Amino acid sequence: MKKELMQILACPVCKGDLELKVDEEKREEIVTGSLYCSKCNYSYPIVDTIPNLLPPEQQA
Amino acid sequence: MEKKKIKEVVKGRYAQIAKQAQESCCPSCACGSSSLLQAKVIGYSTEDLEHVPEEAIMGLGCGNPTAIADLQAGEVVLDLGSGAGVDVFLAANKVGPTGRVIGVDMTEEMVDKAKSIARDHGYHNVEFRLGEIEKLPVEDESVDAIISNCVINLSPDKSKVFREAYRALKPGGRLTVSDIVSEGALPNEIKSDSNAWACCIGGALEHQEYLREIKESGFENVQVLSSKEFYIEGEGSQALTKLLSITVRAYK
Repeated sequence: MKKELMQILACPVCKGDLELKVDEEKREEIVTGSLYCSKCNYSYPIVDTIPNLLPPEQQA
Repeated sequence: MEKKKIKEVVKGRYAQIAKQAQESCCPSCACGSSSLLQAKVIGYSTEDLEHVPEEAIMGLGCGNPTAIADLQAGEVVLDLGSGAGVDVFLAANKVGPTGRVIGVDMTEEMVDKAKSIARDHGYHNVEFRLGEIEKLPVEDESVDAIISNCVINLSPDKSKVFREAYRALKPGGRLTVSDIVSEGALPNEIKSDSNAWACCIGGALEHQEYLREIKESGFENVQVLSSKEFYIEGEGSQALTKLLSITVRAYK
């Protein structure tokens, strides 16, 4: 995912802001990292550039 | 039928399709056979189709060419249930480099496939994320247009999908969806068949109920732009059930 898309991203559960943590970035794209919702205290993974924003109960 | 079970069956079916272990969303329909031809029949223009990666055209769904034709340069578009991404790529060509198209799908295999097509073909204005259309991972009032092609019928909670779409749209934003609805209530044996759900039939709402749910979610000026009928045979009875493939537009 690209950083600029953070503007419109929200937690799927509470719709609150997400905090981005970057583990690996390549050509302006975040390859691995996470999106943390402080309200829900839940961290959504970014794997192979794709944010997994399925609600926690649907996470594999 | 339990909501969770419906989701599992639908997810499993579309994961198989993404891996091409299965060509069509259901054994009985022909929507996977010659996907490109199918896409043309649905109403996408040859010119539009020439400019999207062919592997993204899986021929699934009822087609949403009107929604694509409507998009303007620079718009932010959200595709609910983006699959392999055909509508996302078509939309991306319309909104251009200053616009953005975001595809949301709950099936990992489909999102992976769409993402690799985007990468191979150098699409910079598209993004895919794993997510549920009942719990959209986007901010309030952040999107100009929401599109969806034959997906909402697969959701066990359609009013939630429409409420979420309303929330995500900017004021004045528009929703243009194509979907399957029934005329008259579906027989119970179809409604309770998870296979029929994955085939886009079991979860089809009655036509007027579908429109009512959109209105009740807050949308205004709800219009049916096109409607095409087809029939399915009931298993136990000889009765035919009339289904409609409709395109609806509504405004926030």
